[in-house]
Amino acid sequence: MKPFDIVVVGGGGAGLYAAMEAMKVNPSLNIAVLSKVYPNRSHTSAAQGGANAALANKAKDDTVDMHIFDTIKGSDYLADQDAVEILCSEAPKIIRELDNIGTPWSRMDDKTIAQRPFGGAGRPRCCYCADKTGHTILQSLYEQCLKKGVFFFNEYFVLNISTSGSKSRGLVAMNMRTGKVEAFPARTVILATGGYAKMYWNRSSNAAGNTGDGQAIAYRAGIPLKDMEFVQFHPTGLRKSGLLVTEGARGEGGYLVNSDGDRFMKNYAPEKMELGPRDLVSRSIETEILEGRGFDSPAGPYMHLDLTHLGADLVKSRLPQIREMSMYFEGVDPIDEPIPIRPTAHYSMGGIDTDNDGRTVMDGVYAAGEAACVSVHGANRLGGNSLLDILVFGRITGRTAAQEARQFEPDEIPSSEVSATEEELREYMRPSGHYERYGALREELGHTLAQNVGIFREKSKIEKGVEELAGLKERFEHVRVFDTSDVYNTNLMQVMELRNMLDLAQTVAAGALAREESRGSHTRTDFPKRDDEKWHKHTLCTWDNGTPKLGEKPVTMGKYELQERTY
Amino acid sequence: MAEHKEEMRDITFRISRFNPQVDNKPYYDDYTIPVERGITVLRALNYIKEHVDATVSFRAFCQAGICGSCGMRINGISKLACTTQVWDELERCKVDNVIKVEPLRNMPLVKDLIVDMDPMVDKMKRYSNWVESVMPEEKMGEKEFLVAEEEFQEYDKATDCILCASCMSECSILRAHKDYVGPAVLLKSHRMNVDSRDGAHNRRIAELVKDHGVWDCTHCYRCQETCVKSIPIMDGIHGVREDALLSRGVKDTSGARHAEAFMEDIRKKGKLVEATLPIRTNGMGWTLKNLLPMAFKMILKRRTPPPPPLVKPAKGIKKFREEFQEMTEHVKRDKKGNK
Repeated sequence: MKPFDIVVVGGGGAGLYAAMEAMKVNPSLNIAVLSKVYPNRSHTSAAQGGANAALANKAKDDTVDMHIFDTIKGSDYLADQDAVEILCSEAPKIIRELDNIGTPWSRMDDKTIAQRPFGGAGRPRCCYCADKTGHTILQSLYEQCLKKGVFFFNEYFVLNISTSGSKSRGLVAMNMRTGKVEAFPARTVILATGGYAKMYWNRSSNAAGNTGDGQAIAYRAGIPLKDMEFVQFHPTGLRKSGLLVTEGARGEGGYLVNSDGDRFMKNYAPEKMELGPRDLVSRSIETEILEGRGFDSPAGPYMHLDLTHLGADLVKSRLPQIREMSMYFEGVDPIDEPIPIRPTAHYSMGGIDTDNDGRTVMDGVYAAGEAACVSVHGANRLGGNSLLDILVFGRITGRTAAQEARQFEPDEIPSSEVSATEEELREYMRPSGHYERYGALREELGHTLAQNVGIFREKSKIEKGVEELAGLKERFEHVRVFDTSDVYNTNLMQVMELRNMLDLAQTVAAGALAREESRGSHTRTDFPKRDDEKWHKHTLCTWDNGTPKLGEKPVTMGKYELQERTY
Repeated sequence: MAEHKEEMRDITFRISRFNPQVDNKPYYDDYTIPVERGITVLRALNYIKEHVDATVSFRAFCQAGICGSCGMRINGISKLACTTQVWDELERCKVDNVIKVEPLRNMPLVKDLIVDMDPMVDKMKRYSNWVESVMPEEKMGEKEFLVAEEEFQEYDKATDCILCASCMSECSILRAHKDYVGPAVLLKSHRMNVDSRDGAHNRRIAELVKDHGVWDCTHCYRCQETCVKSIPIMDGIHGVREDALLSRGVKDTSGARHAEAFMEDIRKKGKLVEATLPIRTNGMGWTLKNLLPMAFKMILKRRTPPPPPLVKPAKGIKKFREEFQEMTEHVKRDKKGNK
């Protein structure tokens, strides 16, 4: 195959924006997007709430500086301040650009883009399309990529980065339609594969495929991961499935109510109430449940999200998808009854360590979106900043790769590497005496993470988690793929995804064990205070023969000094 | 609190299987599993894959009804497995407690419940299913367009479409001819056409009125009935037709002439003059060349439509004409009001 200038892995918001921007910067480049699903299926589609930008359409006194401050404070001061400045100052431009290419933003009476309040934000600055924001943005980007003639390799599962010394030669991936392992020689690769929070399995709001494939192949290729211990639990997942009820539901005025009928957030965030930052609200709900003020059910304890006082019209016009989901998955119509919810693993703040232009330490490898960690979210991401992150840094990374691609000499990927990978896959299909089922391992993985490396963490529990993860990895050696066919082997793909989750789960646990403080989403009950002296720094994690090796990186500061974080 | 136990039942899933490497044609495998009330069809399929037969293949991703991956036919109707409750399907089973699960129709079969979506993507490309912005690229990001609520309402529902292809699977015309544009692509085309930010209306319409385009739809409404997002798809299809007829002046197509001839007959007689309809739609040459053999067959079978002079106006035609006139005026006024 002729070498590509850029291969983007992942067809979500970050990947598609990167491809679109790269085509814009240099239309003569040979660009392809490789995705394990059709791009319009990507998890960006599930983002409901919106994207923050200080357009000042709604609150006339909103400023980019206020957005920057809210984001840094929300991150518990672990975000790099120069990166946050880029994120927030590019925000208004990116929202308008999407408007210009057809995204159907909800409008206000004066015909300008509507904005609503979101958690942890000082002004209503979240731009939205009802509660289908991510879906409409993804459609717009996909449409524009089709228009520009971006070449798509749909339903290819990425397996490895092919490296020579400190440089990437491209990728090795499996064509799901044929089962063939193929080489994708490329001058540059952009990893935009989304997050890894699905490792919490049943306690996760994520799509089945959010298994951190990009982070895992980067990790195994020696690229450091950053701040992996920071996993955000979204306060309002549906009780039975973990599926998400958008923060927009509280933005529109929903209440959180315990079994005493109290709006308990008054005890935790008296000013912001339900619109406190996510880490705080999740901890508050879990505390209420632990102290016996939750509701009980066979599917586990839960809390009420009450929208009944908002009225049928508002629920139908502003939160139609939420209503649909509550009815499908819980049998509850939020117009009449409160929605049963519980915090659910939702977002990975950590990811592939990149600089502000999307470069990783490896020549020719870039990363963007939830797969990357720039870092703009630090220890806790604000609602409405994740779509913004994938758009802004997707675009920046696409531009960087387009400008730098021709600096790298293309390199062949040896066919021996392809056949070795093929052989490795076939190994999983060989019948053996003792075997493990991937479904059981996957469920145990989610369980041990939720129990030991979940919302509340402590040394002894995390150590138990580390031990159990090692056990699961050992058992994975005996996992068996029963489907031996070549065509669309989902059994094989799910086993490969499990391998990625297991590798990454170890980095999450290692980071959580080392970080002896509480910051943002990372709460150590044995170290309840933030410890800036010892821990105001990023965690780096590199592959060391199959186990994570920890390092560190300083946080870039700017005009905002460290402060206590209260709401 | 007392443990509340959900009802359990043994339910059989009759799943269509096909592995192109070994099978000539699809066949069914039965899987009987214990199912708890409140479980979706997708979760049941996951259970079968994890516990009974790992080779059963289907697509699934978000599991929340927004990504559109798990479109399949359940008891004969195309829908999303992730938003379909097993218990709701029990009422629709032909054989008690046996739920039939098959791949979407009208798209090439890949394996088991997986079909090839590429033909739909190719059509999205052919019919420019994107906003071609009236803003030059170098100016993008500087300012937002102002969009009035009325315009937003025109395309709001259409942007709910998740391209799950349930409508494509149910479409009767697509079943007859795989080149037909199809409901999802028509809906998306209309969504672009009514967006004032788009500058490709005319080109899009010009493509849509060609063969296998908008005029092939026969208003069976199957697409709209099955839409998993309850989108009024037919409004979109009618919108494209009206656009083609009225605003864009593309009357020189067979579809448009057919619609006009139809209207004319209804206005005059309250029913169709079928004998001359093909001539008025496609011209004498085309009719002689393409329909003559069929005409002979119809004569042999004594199925020819009556000659035009014998088509008498329908009963109550006078009152009908008045109402028809009123409706026409009404539509005209509406159009003006919208401009």
